[in-house]
Amino acid sequence: MNESHTMSACGSIGARAGLVALVFGLAASFGALAQTTRPIKIGMIYAKQGPSASLGEFLAHGTELALGQAGNNVLGRPVELTWLDEADPQVAQQNMQKAIDEYKVIAVVGGNSSASALAMMSVASREKIPLILPGAAASEITGKNCNRYTFRTQATVPVQMRGLMPYVSQLGKKVYFITPSYAFGQDILRSSRAMLKEVGLTEVGTDEVPVNTADYSSYILKIRQAKPDVVVGGLVGLDLSNFLKQWNELGMKDKIPFVEIAVSDTDFWNVGPVASTGIYVKPWYYNNPDNTSSEKKFVADFTKKYGRPPSDKAWSGWIAMRSLLESIEQANSTDSAAIIMALEKWRYTEGKFPAFYREWDHQLIKPAVIVQIKKDITDKWDYFNVLKLTSDTEAETAKSFGTREEIGCKMGPI
Amino acid sequence: MLESLLSQAVNGLVLGFIYVLIAVGLSITFGLLGIINFAHGAFFALGAYVAYQLYQMFGWPAVVFAPIIVGLVGMVVEVVLIRRLYGKEPLISLIVTFALGLLIEALIRVFWGSDGKPLSPPSPLTGVFEYGPLLITKYRVAVLLATALTLAALWAFLSYTPYGRILRAGGRDPEMVDMLGINLPRLLTAAFGLGCAIAAIAGVLAGPLWTVSPSMATNAIMPAFVVVAIGGLGSFRGAVFAGLAVGVVISLTIQFKPDAAAASMYAFMFLMLLLRPRGLFGERWERFE
Repeated sequence: MNESHTMSACGSIGARAGLVALVFGLAASFGALAQTTRPIKIGMIYAKQGPSASLGEFLAHGTELALGQAGNNVLGRPVELTWLDEADPQVAQQNMQKAIDEYKVIAVVGGNSSASALAMMSVASREKIPLILPGAAASEITGKNCNRYTFRTQATVPVQMRGLMPYVSQLGKKVYFITPSYAFGQDILRSSRAMLKEVGLTEVGTDEVPVNTADYSSYILKIRQAKPDVVVGGLVGLDLSNFLKQWNELGMKDKIPFVEIAVSDTDFWNVGPVASTGIYVKPWYYNNPDNTSSEKKFVADFTKKYGRPPSDKAWSGWIAMRSLLESIEQANSTDSAAIIMALEKWRYTEGKFPAFYREWDHQLIKPAVIVQIKKDITDKWDYFNVLKLTSDTEAETAKSFGTREEIGCKMGPI
Repeated sequence: MLESLLSQAVNGLVLGFIYVLIAVGLSITFGLLGIINFAHGAFFALGAYVAYQLYQMFGWPAVVFAPIIVGLVGMVVEVVLIRRLYGKEPLISLIVTFALGLLIEALIRVFWGSDGKPLSPPSPLTGVFEYGPLLITKYRVAVLLATALTLAALWAFLSYTPYGRILRAGGRDPEMVDMLGINLPRLLTAAFGLGCAIAAIAGVLAGPLWTVSPSMATNAIMPAFVVVAIGGLGSFRGAVFAGLAVGVVISLTIQFKPDAAAASMYAFMFLMLLLRPRGLFGERWERFE
């Protein structure tokens, strides 16, 4: 009797121990399962309102589609994407902080305005969260203000202006500038003025226009008085649309050619074929026959989902998100430092030569595309003819983006 | 130099007339109801959007109904929301109408999207008049005439018709008007509707000038407040003078120092409020003192 009692006591202790071990084991594995299936949070900061609302909309759609194409997950975990507003630099900076503190994002893809980007970058650096800027062309972002946590996809102002200059000098000698009164516009003036001297052009007038100006008639009168051979613009989003509309209405469209950099398809879709005119530099064009196969698939998927083709902003959001997701997979971790290092090694190998983030300034080295408004626009969305890229070979591209000394970026450790 | 000044000044007049129209609606709402309507810019934008929608569905002639529709919307808003603000302190009406303005702008974005809608002037009005340095589109001249006519009609309505006189009396002394047997609440509803309709007329006219977009509301309300502050709250004459002055000042500033253009009207307002706080033609309102 005693033995059987002892046996059963031992047995029951063993059984209890076994049960406890089983429960702990299950709990641990559930915990681990929860850990691995807990969603990864990524933030998007794009304009939902204001003159850049159309740009923000396409940026967000492109970013979302890149995630969708990757199956809405990374590292086997689902991704939660949160879209916060980029109404102005203050709001953008606050939302960046909010995304990190409240939403606990591991990275942010966002920032189209150079002014907002500069504000968001400082948060990224302080909080040690990777930030990929799909827009924002001002040079100081990967120049004197650069930091280890910020990456940028759009070609810089000097690269785009250098691509545009040969066309400007073909059009004449006297140049009038109409640029917005913030970092991006000021960079255009700075870069252009240096280049004008090289090609023997003269500046006959400059207007720095406040952002969100609705009425350009007074500016157009000034341009008309100055009688330039070509007008170089810098207006963004709806401001550009408004300007072109009024430029056309005042009969100036066929009198003086207009050129600009860093424009987007929506700027022209919003104004219509009648008023659209000019030669432009932009990151990408959906109807470029030289697009890679994944880009063509992106165009098809986007058009199917949203009923219209992707603007260059959609592509910018797409490539930025792609680079982030692929880097997270490569790093096999959501740790910021690991992601940063993976991004620095990331390459987009489709196309004639690879595109990559330059290690010492985090600028995406990829040529922009130079386009011209078609003479006869018959399709609802296809407004442009592709003229050429800003650089045709790998060596030319690297050179056009500048040397370390020229760029002046000094990055710290992670 | 003189020629450029002249052409800018003429351009400024057109801009000014639109500002006058927006400001007059705001001034009327304040003068007759004692409510500072922060949603005024939103009704301006709504006018432009309704006009755009009517144009898309029925063509240009249907656009005349846009101010009427917005006026009706304004009347509904008055019955539902605004009449609860009468007699309360001004801060409450500011906050409520500000929120209303944001709501209307958000609804616009939901129905029509955040992007700009291109709206061109009707074909007989495309083209320009060019006299030497003077360059002005036919449409702008039409806007000038239309605003002048609207303002004249409004002034005649308020000064000479019995209904207009009742409205003005209701603004002055609502209790007396009530005691005279006139249905005051209905009067006030109509007055608010009128203010919104005028904002909508300005929106319809401005739509083809500046792209129809949700941010139109802010572009309208800020100059409207500046104009009303300079001209005097509640004063029709003041709104006209101040509106034209602001339009011309902005255009001339663009000629010489474009980045100060937006700031110039605020500088003007600042000066005016320092020198004569009630504005050019403003009157002391018993309500506030």
